[in-house]
Amino acid sequence: MKTTRRQVFQAAALSSGAVALSGCERVISTITSATEVGVPDHLKGSESMEIDPEFHLLSRAAFGPWPGDLQHVKDMGRESWIEEQLNPDSISDAACDFRAERFNTLFVRPAEAYNFKKPLLRDELTRHALLCAVYSQRQLYEVMVEFWTDHLNIDLNKGDCIYFKTADDREVIRKHALGNFRDLIRASATSPAMLVYLDGRSNKVTKTKPVPNENYGRELLELHTLGVNGGYTQNDVREAARCLTGWTVNLLKNSEGKVKQLFQPSRGESFFNPEHHDDGSKIVLGKTIPAGGGEADLEQLIDIVCEHPSTAKFIAKKMCSHFVSHDTPDSLLQRVADEFTKTKGDIKSLLRAILKSDEFYASRGQLLKRPFRYVVSSLRAVAADTHAHQPLVDWLHRMGQGLFQYPTPDGYTYEEAPWMGTLLWRWNFALTLAGGKIPTVQIAANKLRKALDAGHDKSADEVTTKLFAHFTGRQARPHELEAVRGLNKDAEALGVLLASPAFQRC
Amino acid sequence: MPSITRRALLSQLLLTTAPVVEDAGKHTLVCVFLRGGADTLNLLVPYADDAYYKARASLAIAAPSNDSKSAVRLNDHYGLHPMLKPLADKFHDGRLSFVQGVGIRDNSSGSHFESQDLMEHGDASLDNSAGGGWLGRFLHARAGKNITPLSAVAIGTKLPESLRGAPSVSVMQSLDDIGIKAPSNKPEAAAAALAKLYGADVTLLGERGRETLDLFHRVSALQHNDYHSANDATYPKDEFGSGLREIARLIKAGVGLEVACIDLGGWDTHFLQGTAEGTQAGRAKLLADGLAAFDADIKAERDNVSVFVMTEFGRRLYENSSLGTDHGRGFASMLLSNKIKGGRVVGSWPALAEEASDGPGGMQIHYDYRSVFSEVLRGTMGLAKTGSVFPNFKPESVGLV
Repeated sequence: MKTTRRQVFQAAALSSGAVALSGCERVISTITSATEVGVPDHLKGSESMEIDPEFHLLSRAAFGPWPGDLQHVKDMGRESWIEEQLNPDSISDAACDFRAERFNTLFVRPAEAYNFKKPLLRDELTRHALLCAVYSQRQLYEVMVEFWTDHLNIDLNKGDCIYFKTADDREVIRKHALGNFRDLIRASATSPAMLVYLDGRSNKVTKTKPVPNENYGRELLELHTLGVNGGYTQNDVREAARCLTGWTVNLLKNSEGKVKQLFQPSRGESFFNPEHHDDGSKIVLGKTIPAGGGEADLEQLIDIVCEHPSTAKFIAKKMCSHFVSHDTPDSLLQRVADEFTKTKGDIKSLLRAILKSDEFYASRGQLLKRPFRYVVSSLRAVAADTHAHQPLVDWLHRMGQGLFQYPTPDGYTYEEAPWMGTLLWRWNFALTLAGGKIPTVQIAANKLRKALDAGHDKSADEVTTKLFAHFTGRQARPHELEAVRGLNKDAEALGVLLASPAFQRC
Repeated sequence: MPSITRRALLSQLLLTTAPVVEDAGKHTLVCVFLRGGADTLNLLVPYADDAYYKARASLAIAAPSNDSKSAVRLNDHYGLHPMLKPLADKFHDGRLSFVQGVGIRDNSSGSHFESQDLMEHGDASLDNSAGGGWLGRFLHARAGKNITPLSAVAIGTKLPESLRGAPSVSVMQSLDDIGIKAPSNKPEAAAAALAKLYGADVTLLGERGRETLDLFHRVSALQHNDYHSANDATYPKDEFGSGLREIARLIKAGVGLEVACIDLGGWDTHFLQGTAEGTQAGRAKLLADGLAAFDADIKAERDNVSVFVMTEFGRRLYENSSLGTDHGRGFASMLLSNKIKGGRVVGSWPALAEEASDGPGGMQIHYDYRSVFSEVLRGTMGLAKTGSVFPNFKPESVGLV
């Protein structure tokens, strides 16, 4: 049963007496755990020796199960769950909204963002992303938000990006995360944050300097659409850059405008300046864009790159690397690429093709969690209560995945080996979390033990068996039981299980 | 059987991890990667070439003069960016040399990632990959000789491509961070459980887990003492400065460090690059101040330490319309070492010639980057045969060593 916003407020009214003076966050924590983000009274872990298929689905199409999610998917069936997740608006998300949608800077236009201090903008954007991933019921949507955030990576630390990334997150990534690929790329192309990040804003031709800035044009082809081996040439990069000349963003306060223009775009707004556009004809990927196209050159360019066969293959491959395996069978890659072509880049159709495939279920436990997924899935597994303050966010930096801070446009990698150098931090995160020693983060260890019937009266092996199945979706193997046998069965065993190889994978 | 006390266990741990490595780790190579494609034309300024000033009407660094914003004279042809002044004395002392016109010959894409990838893997092309990174292959080739968990260290949070394939690599920000934070404050029990779990894992994850445990044991011995740099060396107060300080600390601790990688980003100056001041000048100052502090700190160990500075490509000779420079071709690399013929800029003069066959134009490439890497490994680390690191490649002589 889903909770409505009204129910949450009712719960708030009931509980507010008890926590009256302990701060907004305490109130939120109390009321949300009283409603849908608590721990059910009874939980049953998987009894299978192999990872449970429903658990697998939740490990990849969600950030791992919240206590009770596994039973929920089993009850409703995988297909129905996927369909429900593909229509996120149909899912009530009141408890998450209560926690994550309360930051002032999330709703501002770029021009207004300048009124806030940079650390606040970074902090609230980061906390929002982390809280949504942990608490949203719209898990597949959040997974795709993470995917596109990497695909269209923007580093907050470059220039004025920090003032614009919040709007980019809202208007580009979140708006189109489950929409159409072409719309996503088109929105990104003139997003103020992208115009700053990849220097599109200074891509212009003037009489004295007829040389375009190729930075965005190159990454559009190499990283956003065709892929590095997608069959474009240096000449295509230059021609793409020419199509985009004149698109820029105003970074000046109105009073600072040096040149009087016919219309004065407001600060932080992107616009097309025809005087800086190269209006000659262009040939991109063998297709001619006639002279005199003006700002419509952009639309033609986006059509050409999104419709190119390499783009269908590149996006299919990247999504399969994320959801299935780094070695996805060609059969599935081809089906997903065909689906891309057939539906002109309908992201939901691609997800259906992937998540309902046999190849998807055959890939159980084969991927290594990236740090963000590792942290979020840990928090979800122990029903953590957090407001994503710095002590938690710091762990992501140690593990190498500080949000919105990857410096180069390729985004955080899906390759696995590069993440394994920071295993020590994963272990320490797990042990510190289990010990209840991450400031501002509370875990529901006792409730979890009770629900799993793994309390203090049970033997160490019984406790381990139940926790292990809860965390990994399968039964522990003998050596896994044996390894934790000597440990203190409270925090230490819990932490070591979260640190174990089985929980590093998904 | 006598019971083993915690104290006994700890002292045993200290004995077995005593930092005595005789062979490997005698010499340390520190690789500084300037990420983003550094415009070395404004770092190692060819002030005697008119073409440089013609191509860079607003971005050129002035020829050496009394003005503090002009280049710092190295010889009759070259000067250093004013912010690199702390490195000039090392050049004149004969410990610092540059190689001009280094790059990837067959790289028509001008992509940061492809170029960094090729550069770090040490490959001729992406289709012709040797597997692993060039430093990883080097360490692998020496694997028989006392490889330790601290043979290769990357400062930061991610494993650099160049160290792929190394028998072990540790990624760290600070030596003090390394420990296992067990809730009971008894890390040994948690470490033992993790050893069993990762010991049974036959994949790369298991291997990396075991290396991590090994590192934990080794570094436990070095912790809990404050570090004071030698010779009043003052590191810049940022990640690059503190990273270099941690490298110095590891070198002095004698833990067998052979290769240390550290990045300095922010060189992708498409836009408002600046001249003696501005974006690039800020990065140059960090680079020079950091290296000068490091060099002072390890003065006693200088015979056993070399520093190599590289980037993925240089930038175009011509400035662009946004007072910046776009991706180009050749760049100047830098080597600071007591083991080289220092005080020279290797490479033919005049250096400048815009080259654009099918890819981006820029400084001509005189030396395949693998020839330079080969010579660095041969001259500083004593690698006799470079074939194991750069298969199917015959390095030409650069003349650094």
